[in-house]
Amino acid sequence: MKPPRQPPSPPRWAQRLLSWWGHPDTREETQGDLLELYDYWVQTAGKRRADWRYSLSTLKLLRPLAQTNTTQYPSPFFLNATMIRNYFIIAWRNLIRNKAFSGINILGLALGMSCSLLILLWVQDERGVDAFHANGSQLYQVYERQYYDGKIEANYFTQGLLADELKRVIPEVQLASGLEDIAPITFEAGKTINKQNGTFAGADFFQMFSYPLLQGTPATALSRPGGIAVSRRMAEQFFGNAEQAIGKSIRYQDKEDLQVTAVFENIPANSSQQFDFLRPWVDFVKLNEWAKNWGNTNPLTFVQLRTGTDPVKVEAKIKEFIYQYRAKNTGSRTELALQPYPEKYLHSTFKNGQVDGGRIEYVRLFSLVALFILLIACVNFMNLATARSTKRAKEVGVRKVIGAVRSALMGQFVGEAMLITFLAILIAVMLVSVLLPGFSMLTGKQLTLPIDQPQFWAMLLGLLALTGLVSGSYPAFFLSSLSPARVLKGGVTFKAGATLFRKGLVVFQFSLSIILIVGMIVMYRQTDYIQTKNLGYNRENLIYIPLEGDLSAKYDLLKEEAGKLPGILSLSRMRESPTQIGHHINDANWTGKDPNLVTSFANTAVEYDFVKTMKLQLSEGRDFDRSFGIDSLSYLINETALAKIGYKNPIGKPLSWGQRQGTIIGVLKDFHFTSMHQAIEPLIVRLDNKRQWGTILVRTEAGKTSEALAGLETLCRELNPKFPFTYQFSDQEFDKLYKSEQVVSQLANYFALLAIFISCLGLFGLSTFTAEQRTKEIGVRKVLGASVASVVTLLSTDFLKLVLIALVIATPVAWYVMNQWLRGFVYKIDIEWWMLAVAGLVAVCIAFVTISFQSVKAALMNPVKSLRSE
Amino acid sequence: MKRAFLGEFEEVVLLTVAILDEGAYGVTITQEIEQKTGRSVGFSTVHTTLQRLAEKGFLSSRMGGATAERGGRRKRFFTVTATGRKALLDVKQVREELWGSLPPQTLQLMGS
Repeated sequence: MKPPRQPPSPPRWAQRLLSWWGHPDTREETQGDLLELYDYWVQTAGKRRADWRYSLSTLKLLRPLAQTNTTQYPSPFFLNATMIRNYFIIAWRNLIRNKAFSGINILGLALGMSCSLLILLWVQDERGVDAFHANGSQLYQVYERQYYDGKIEANYFTQGLLADELKRVIPEVQLASGLEDIAPITFEAGKTINKQNGTFAGADFFQMFSYPLLQGTPATALSRPGGIAVSRRMAEQFFGNAEQAIGKSIRYQDKEDLQVTAVFENIPANSSQQFDFLRPWVDFVKLNEWAKNWGNTNPLTFVQLRTGTDPVKVEAKIKEFIYQYRAKNTGSRTELALQPYPEKYLHSTFKNGQVDGGRIEYVRLFSLVALFILLIACVNFMNLATARSTKRAKEVGVRKVIGAVRSALMGQFVGEAMLITFLAILIAVMLVSVLLPGFSMLTGKQLTLPIDQPQFWAMLLGLLALTGLVSGSYPAFFLSSLSPARVLKGGVTFKAGATLFRKGLVVFQFSLSIILIVGMIVMYRQTDYIQTKNLGYNRENLIYIPLEGDLSAKYDLLKEEAGKLPGILSLSRMRESPTQIGHHINDANWTGKDPNLVTSFANTAVEYDFVKTMKLQLSEGRDFDRSFGIDSLSYLINETALAKIGYKNPIGKPLSWGQRQGTIIGVLKDFHFTSMHQAIEPLIVRLDNKRQWGTILVRTEAGKTSEALAGLETLCRELNPKFPFTYQFSDQEFDKLYKSEQVVSQLANYFALLAIFISCLGLFGLSTFTAEQRTKEIGVRKVLGASVASVVTLLSTDFLKLVLIALVIATPVAWYVMNQWLRGFVYKIDIEWWMLAVAGLVAVCIAFVTISFQSVKAALMNPVKSLRSE
Repeated sequence: MKRAFLGEFEEVVLLTVAILDEGAYGVTITQEIEQKTGRSVGFSTVHTTLQRLAEKGFLSSRMGGATAERGGRRKRFFTVTATGRKALLDVKQVREELWGSLPPQTLQLMGS
């Protein structure tokens, strides 16, 4: 038998609503009546109609909507519907009546808010990077802290077998995986040939990181030798779709055939690791003999700790881990340490072996700038509102006499501020949606307005509340404190305090603007300095071509043929590209070396004509040369290395690198091969013309780049048909090193301009107001013979004084802040006095122009007009 | 004395209260109007109208008659006051006067 059915009952929310907000006098009978009617409706029209009718009736009975004034004189509750309506009307009329001021307020706030919104979106996106991994809280990246030469340095490069050993030996480590450098690789399947970015990763990789698999399982995706996991994008390019791809064979770098073991979903944009394929670690170790040596580092290592494990304890346990596998060397020590993986993206630079900063600095900087700009916009609002409060003083007086309490008045003014802020937010959201594509391009992100996310609306609401409260608070306090008797008797005289406060705000506003302008100048100069500084080699007209496939074997042929092509001056090759020399050795030896000294040398291997092609300068000696038969044991060093080694006459002196005993044949003048954030390192260059891979360097004739490229393309296609022809321009590669600086510099420009613009809007409003207030005074002065110039001076000096004070305050702050920023560069400009002066001058000039706009107008006015009435 | 103004719906509600006599409260009034006039009326409309009429002094009310089906809540019974009755009569009188002064041919055209 069926259980007795519950009689249908009206929607719970509607019942609640009625019991909370129904009018207390009639609540009882309406609740009862509706219940009774509900039953009737259920019987006559069905439950759905009944629910609907019930809810509709409830809504109509709620207090502000229903006519309920049962008493003849409603209590003067300040949130009464009538009062609220009145507030709206008054606010609206004020807006309409003072179009100029409202315009300035809303425009200023809208600009400020759209700027803050953009920055907030960016910050949110930055913080969201790598936050999506389900095991995020247990994922750690291993980094190595090295003590040598009296220094502590840290980096993420680890040993090739570290991940597997950690998992095997340390019980707390549940999963572990290595990850090699992500590099472009040429693939071939069927008729398709193209390049994909990817690398090698450990067998646990897909179990640790939440990259969903479309085909294959996380446990087996990277476990089989000769396998490969590819992204959906790559699978579609080569095989049409993911299902087709699984089990198929694909040719890797025209060397090996790999079998697709898994297809993973395309890596989301908010992941810091971006790759299109992964190969199993077993293959990496097989292909790279060096990875088995515990003295060599390069791969990244990630571990997943068991739930509830204290990372500090694990860190202590693995501190000396690598010495289980290799002997300790004197003079240096290497420790392992753990960093929570989700933090790595924003905190990835080290100082004294500790995680020190990274992108987080920009996140903080920009958050601060967003706040500043918003504050500047709020200040405009406060200033204009207080300045114009004389006009509203009478209204306040009347309201008070009628019985408004102070809290009611404050509510009214804050509410008014909220209304204006609301309008500004509407405009700001529209502005942002227009500007977002451009901003995304500038910052290299894919930002969208997350209108489907409640957090976004919460953020907007927060922004509304914050801005409304901040900008409405002072007028609210000030106006509500006026005494009605004084106001209504006529003439409100401001206390000195109020004027002082207003002036203080202007000073504050301009100080911030000046700081931002100085920031803009310094950042611009620094980026410019980096981009135009003499690197020690000529980065114009230099092309990089990857050495791959048949090109390695046919390199000599290529070199010979290319030499005949028009527009090509010379050709050489090196192991990496000039901006990526990252390999370090610390087993260099020379006569007279302090046995305890451990110095790390950057090094690279090049081919003949390297110096010529790079246009490097030799301070002593010669380049590698075919006419000297024994150059395979010759070394070029840079000046920094020479200083480390300490030879007086270095040419012909012995230098050894591991087992290779050789001599120094030349000294290169220092050139920048890493970013300007770092000092130039000591460098050893050796000759190696047998290497299978690397970068071909091509020096082209200025202005003949396209001809040279066309020639090279045909040549490479002919010599190396299995690989697509790709190339990079040296100057572009170089610029990539400073991508974030360029973005920051460009953003700083916009922000500074915006800040000064918003400040000037405020100043414009204030000067308009003063000019208006002093119309009579100016009239009288003119009648008595004052010149236009003297009137303009009279009106302008007050404001200019404020801007000057702002300049005095801002200068040291700006100087300090920018010095902090510049500290991140080893090669940097000095902040010169003219930068501060220019910033000040710009601020003063813009302010002066803004003010004179109004003061000249006021000064030119016919006194008859201003004095006629009264 | 100024004649009391009654809106059309107010008149209907007031009349219904008078018809229902002792048993006039929100539910019965709503149902009665629905049945008699054949038009669907919202409860809230009836409720507000009743409130307004009470405010104008045409209706008086008392609480009572709680039942289980209303969750033990009392009903508000309405009765027409003397002023209310007068207002109804006034309206009726006005109507009748107006009907009475219709020219006979117009009355014929309307088909009555």
